[in-house]
Amino acid sequence: MSESRKILLAEDNSILSLLLKFKLEKAGYDLIIAENGKEAIEIIEKQKPEIILTDVMMPFVSGLEIISHVRNKLDLITPVIVFSSAGQEEMVLNAFNLGATDFMAKPFSPNELVIRIKRLLQ
Amino acid sequence: MVNLYQNIVDYLKNAPEVIQFLWALITTLILIICSLILYLKHSRSRLRIKERIQKVYQKKYESDLIEYLYAGNEDNEISVEQQQIVNYFKKCSTNRLKRKLIITTLLKLRNEISGETADAIQKLYYQTEMMNSAAAKLKHKKWNVVARAINELTQFEIKEVHDQIIQLINHPKREVRKEIQMYLVKLFHFEGLDFLNILTTPLSEWDQIQLLEILQKFDDQEIPDITNWLNSSNDSVAFFALKLAKIYNQFEAKDAIISLLYHPEKEMRIEAIGVLSHMGAIEAVAILKNNFDQLSLDEQIAFFKMMENMHEAHDEEFIIPFMNHVNFDIRVSAMKIVKAIEIKKPNAFKIIPSEKKYPENTALIKAS
Repeated sequence: MSESRKILLAEDNSILSLLLKFKLEKAGYDLIIAENGKEAIEIIEKQKPEIILTDVMMPFVSGLEIISHVRNKLDLITPVIVFSSAGQEEMVLNAFNLGATDFMAKPFSPNELVIRIKRLLQ
Repeated sequence: MVNLYQNIVDYLKNAPEVIQFLWALITTLILIICSLILYLKHSRSRLRIKERIQKVYQKKYESDLIEYLYAGNEDNEISVEQQQIVNYFKKCSTNRLKRKLIITTLLKLRNEISGETADAIQKLYYQTEMMNSAAAKLKHKKWNVVARAINELTQFEIKEVHDQIIQLINHPKREVRKEIQMYLVKLFHFEGLDFLNILTTPLSEWDQIQLLEILQKFDDQEIPDITNWLNSSNDSVAFFALKLAKIYNQFEAKDAIISLLYHPEKEMRIEAIGVLSHMGAIEAVAILKNNFDQLSLDEQIAFFKMMENMHEAHDEEFIIPFMNHVNFDIRVSAMKIVKAIEIKKPNAFKIIPSEKKYPENTALIKAS
């Protein structure tokens, strides 16, 4: 059922992306990686993922801009999980105001992420 | 061509000495500029090559690390694939650049995740013996190598080297001391502050701020007894202990703080007055009042600031003469205190019933 479910990960940390790719593919999802916000928006428009995972701080286009684009321009209800680091509490609030579904503070547990994704896709 | 060259040589030979000197200078400068351009070009291309090599290695180490993390057995024993990666990393770590790249890769992931994956990365750090090499660097002659090693051990949260690190707490270089303090507080929380017992070198204001910032992040806010630090012969330690007493409301240390009112350093006495005022230590008021004439002007100002919050009705007699003090701060504080005492007095303000009648109003009511 969940084998072909597409998930987009917008994250500039290459090794974290790689780890999550292994983890989520093992859990039966198809993970598409975008190294920056600009690339993420292009993928969202073309491939319409079922869930979006995005870091708040990213080159070119930030995670907040991605959420804004998804909710206001594309008018999509795709669940968005935001990753934030310590000291970005205000950004998380802004993300929720823009329409983020959930957030995870870094450092986070990959297992917990998988559980949250499963719950959101149920 | 030969003619042109001959003409130039003849021209230079026959030219005045100043012209000859200027031509020589121009030629030398051109040569210097050309060689500098060549050198810059060479170093730029060398840096680019180095960057490219680094990228290749980093990518290799990243995929190896992920492979290591997912090649584990269910029974927690190291698998053959994992052992191969450990051996490869161990071999690479003998090269300084490669070791740096491996450490960067491990930390790049470890700082972003928690749980068993983070523990596995730390395990790899032990297995590759990079922890041992970092610990060995603690004895290095160069201070920057020592500081970097402590920083690395802090990031990987290696608690086993505590005894080796604590021995360096009074290192002559401030940078090393700072790294040690960070190591102790980040890994051992409030218990790590025990280094204050043996610290003989000054703890700068910036170091104190950084330590307090780290301490505030911990869930466990149980602070140890700070009395020893308040009585420390190292003034910076006593200042830091006063900050701790204020932030964490250390009422148990009140007597030790009161004893600081007799400290030889004026700044310490003023700071102690501030902390006692914050804690509402009423005993300090009587002590300071009795010794008021021996206090310096700054201490007197601090005392009056303290009195603004801790005055009692019987203090009015003592305060009133200071309403005309030459110092503006004392004068203002004295006025504020007297005003506050007066307001609190029973029947200080009375509503006097007016005897005056308003016949116009009565007339209007009657007419309506």
